[in-house]
Amino acid sequence: MNQFVFEKQQKSTFIGMMILGVICMVLTFVGDDAFHTRFWSNFLHNSVYFTGIAFGALFVLSASLLAYGGWHTIFKRVWEAYSLFLIVGLVLMGVIVAGVLGGFHHLYHWADKASVEADEILKGKSGFLNPMIYTIFTIGFVGIWFFIAQRMRAISQDEDQNGNESFSQHKKLKFWAAIFLPLGGFSSAAIIWQWVMSLDAHWYSTLFAWYCTASMVVTMYAFTLLILVYLRSKGYYTLVTQEHLHDIGKYIFGISIFWTYLWFSQFMLIWYANVGEETIYFKTRLEEYRPLFFLNLGINFFIPFLVLIRNDTKRKVGSLVFVSIIVILGHWLNFFLMIKPGVLHTAHELAHHDTHKVGGNESEIKMHSVKTSQENHADANSVPHTAAATHGEGHEVVSHDSHSDHAEVPAGFHFPGLLEIGTWIGFLGLFLYFVFWQLTKARLTPPNDPFVGESYHHHV
Amino acid sequence: MSVVVSPIREPLIGGNKTYHQITEDICAPTETTPPKSWVIAFIASVITLAYGLFCIGWLIYFGTGTWNLNRTIGWGWDITNFVWWIGIGHAGTLISAILLLFRQKWRTGVNRAAEAMTIFAVICAAIFPVIHVGRIWVVFYFFPLPNTRGPLWVNFNSPLLWDIFAISTYFTVSLLFWYTGLVPDFATIRDRASGFRKKLYQFLSFGWTGSAKHWQRWESLSLVLAGISAPLVLSVHTIVSFDFATSIIPGWHTTIFPPYFVAGAIFSGFAMVQTLMLVTRHVLKLQDYITVSHIESMNKVILFTGTMVGVAYLTELFIAWYSGYVYEQFAFLNRATGIYWWSYFGMMTCNVLSPQLFWIKKFRTSIFWTFIMSIFVNIGMWFERFVIIATTLARDYIPSSWSYYTPSWVEIGIYVGTFGLFFTLYLGFSRVAPVVAIAEIKSILKSSGNQYVNHHKDAHHHNINEQHALDHLTAEHEGEHHH
Repeated sequence: MNQFVFEKQQKSTFIGMMILGVICMVLTFVGDDAFHTRFWSNFLHNSVYFTGIAFGALFVLSASLLAYGGWHTIFKRVWEAYSLFLIVGLVLMGVIVAGVLGGFHHLYHWADKASVEADEILKGKSGFLNPMIYTIFTIGFVGIWFFIAQRMRAISQDEDQNGNESFSQHKKLKFWAAIFLPLGGFSSAAIIWQWVMSLDAHWYSTLFAWYCTASMVVTMYAFTLLILVYLRSKGYYTLVTQEHLHDIGKYIFGISIFWTYLWFSQFMLIWYANVGEETIYFKTRLEEYRPLFFLNLGINFFIPFLVLIRNDTKRKVGSLVFVSIIVILGHWLNFFLMIKPGVLHTAHELAHHDTHKVGGNESEIKMHSVKTSQENHADANSVPHTAAATHGEGHEVVSHDSHSDHAEVPAGFHFPGLLEIGTWIGFLGLFLYFVFWQLTKARLTPPNDPFVGESYHHHV
Repeated sequence: MSVVVSPIREPLIGGNKTYHQITEDICAPTETTPPKSWVIAFIASVITLAYGLFCIGWLIYFGTGTWNLNRTIGWGWDITNFVWWIGIGHAGTLISAILLLFRQKWRTGVNRAAEAMTIFAVICAAIFPVIHVGRIWVVFYFFPLPNTRGPLWVNFNSPLLWDIFAISTYFTVSLLFWYTGLVPDFATIRDRASGFRKKLYQFLSFGWTGSAKHWQRWESLSLVLAGISAPLVLSVHTIVSFDFATSIIPGWHTTIFPPYFVAGAIFSGFAMVQTLMLVTRHVLKLQDYITVSHIESMNKVILFTGTMVGVAYLTELFIAWYSGYVYEQFAFLNRATGIYWWSYFGMMTCNVLSPQLFWIKKFRTSIFWTFIMSIFVNIGMWFERFVIIATTLARDYIPSSWSYYTPSWVEIGIYVGTFGLFFTLYLGFSRVAPVVAIAEIKSILKSSGNQYVNHHKDAHHHNINEQHALDHLTAEHEGEHHH
């Protein structure tokens, strides 16, 4: 079967997932603080996560094209379908952009004018961290990525119809892939700084973008494995054999190690140098998010590493599916851990700076991290340079809070709650619905691709 | 069933070779008298090496005062050269290990020479940490040996010590890997030799008989060593980067250093492989084994890693501004516009801008341009290390200690001497061992020899099973469409 049929039952399952997601999001929104911090952070978290998978697919597809990679060709339509999800990512991130412009969420500290005025460091960064650049980069870059994804898809479909021995479509694909790789490489870095790194607006790490990319790409491979196994069980992709699954397993194994390498490099260098304004990022996570911090490392490194290090586990569906599920959840947690602390911190800051605006709702924004902020910034102050000193001053307001001894944590921040999981299922439903719908639009295996023969005979 | 190869792949072996011809071609340099060009090159290398040894002797006798290092700039050409040579030593094991794990057939043309290059480059690199301590007779203090010095012990918290472990491990595994590959090829030479040479190669090949069991063990060993080497390729330059990045010196302390050093190392390593292979293939007439498509593939790796390094440079530059940390901002402003601006300029031009030429196929497949570019990249990567080390140190926290550094004749002499050592070893290697892996070339002949690839020109239609399967898919699709 080379033509995928999107069954009614699948459709209703995905729609059901989406409805569940919407219900969870509504519940989150209703029960939220005045800033709807939990709702918006969940929205951002899942939007970045699934857009990242789409970006990862386009990146891997382009890299394979240019590197004469032939093994994946028989199922490359799955990656094409993922890459087209960039259009949905554009809409989702468009909502966040609208929020930044319209001020109806408070995810980013730098988006608050009063805070920027009062904060030398934010003022220094405002050339990059401002609503205008955020809008232009998000819409512009994701828009261009989608344009390229959609061009490559059109050429690939044209190859099915009109492909011949001249392989002209393949050459055109390589042309677009060559444009995308450097463009995607540079722009994804800028965009991830804006989307995620700037949530902790004072903090910075040069490695951050590559670290996120590794996370996205490994998740993409894990999703690919699960979808292929599912489609095979439905009678599609009979040409996808153990040999292909083995290679996907190798990639999951390899990129998981690579991710850990980047995790370690970033953590170790910051820990070792112990520069106040860098260390605070990990100090917060180690102290207030301790279980998640170690869980992140444990399930994203140890499980893929220990399970997939053997040859045979990379060839067995059971172990591969197990690891893929772990990796998918694990990197979702990884993004959770990158996003939530910064957002919560910003909410606290703003609640204090801006008590009039929030009014009677102030008590709803729990002042849980006050104590640790105080400690952390005491560290930052001890570093003798202007940046840290100013940084510390910005938090003076917080440290006078009387509730500081009663650290209470709003739900859905220190660990994903049921609503976070429900929201994720909703986004997952949307992602799968979109991908399955795209799969119906082209043959599952492109018969005229010059590498299809190699891919069919792929043998590890 | 023969191997299915995509119709758009280029052959990797030219000249309609047979198995026997491959043996003849590749063994020839080990069996004939060296040509005059080799003799001249060898003499020149040995003279350069001798001069380097003289300079090292001078250094040891008179001490590090003969270098122009000063209170502010404690690391100069010594560590620059060390990092540069270590970087070059990355391509060999990368080609052998990672490309073996990825089943890249094009590695077979260049892996042997690249592995040899790795080993020689690491030897050249190792000289610098040893001599830069000045009092060379206490160099055993590097190692965590039980001693009579009481509580005096190596500092396990220091990345400099980790470096010793990383490099010695890397050297050992690379050597094993290289030698393992050579064993069957030494046996091939032995079988053609007589007299003393036969005995020598019999010894070197450990009595290899070529039995199925030997091959099976050899294959498993190669895979295991590849598996061990792959993380080592990453770890070595990661730890070299830690030498800098664990400090709190602005411009050195940045989290991107580990992967960016590794990318830079692969970049410079491939450039050096290109420089060597272009000369080797010409002198030893190996154009059928190291083809233009090998060169093109390597140029693509150079383009890719060069652009990655470019992303890293710009990331550093941007984050320095973004951090709002004045010392960091100054460090980068100083790099680009300070007293050593010319080295920053050289680095950017040679490493980031010039490899962009390789977007154009004409340049990528031109021997002349590849050679020029490979030299450019080598220069650029040397500048990169110089920028990181000298530029940063020349402007430290106290303006009264700011200074400028130029190397002394001894420092230059030692650097030049390492070239002598490198080429002496490489030229020697090219006469005693096959510079292309005979056994591995033979293993890809049927899938990548030009006479076989050309027969595949009728694309993926050649295999009945496969065509049947794909026809089936197509027909089914059409059928569903008509419903």
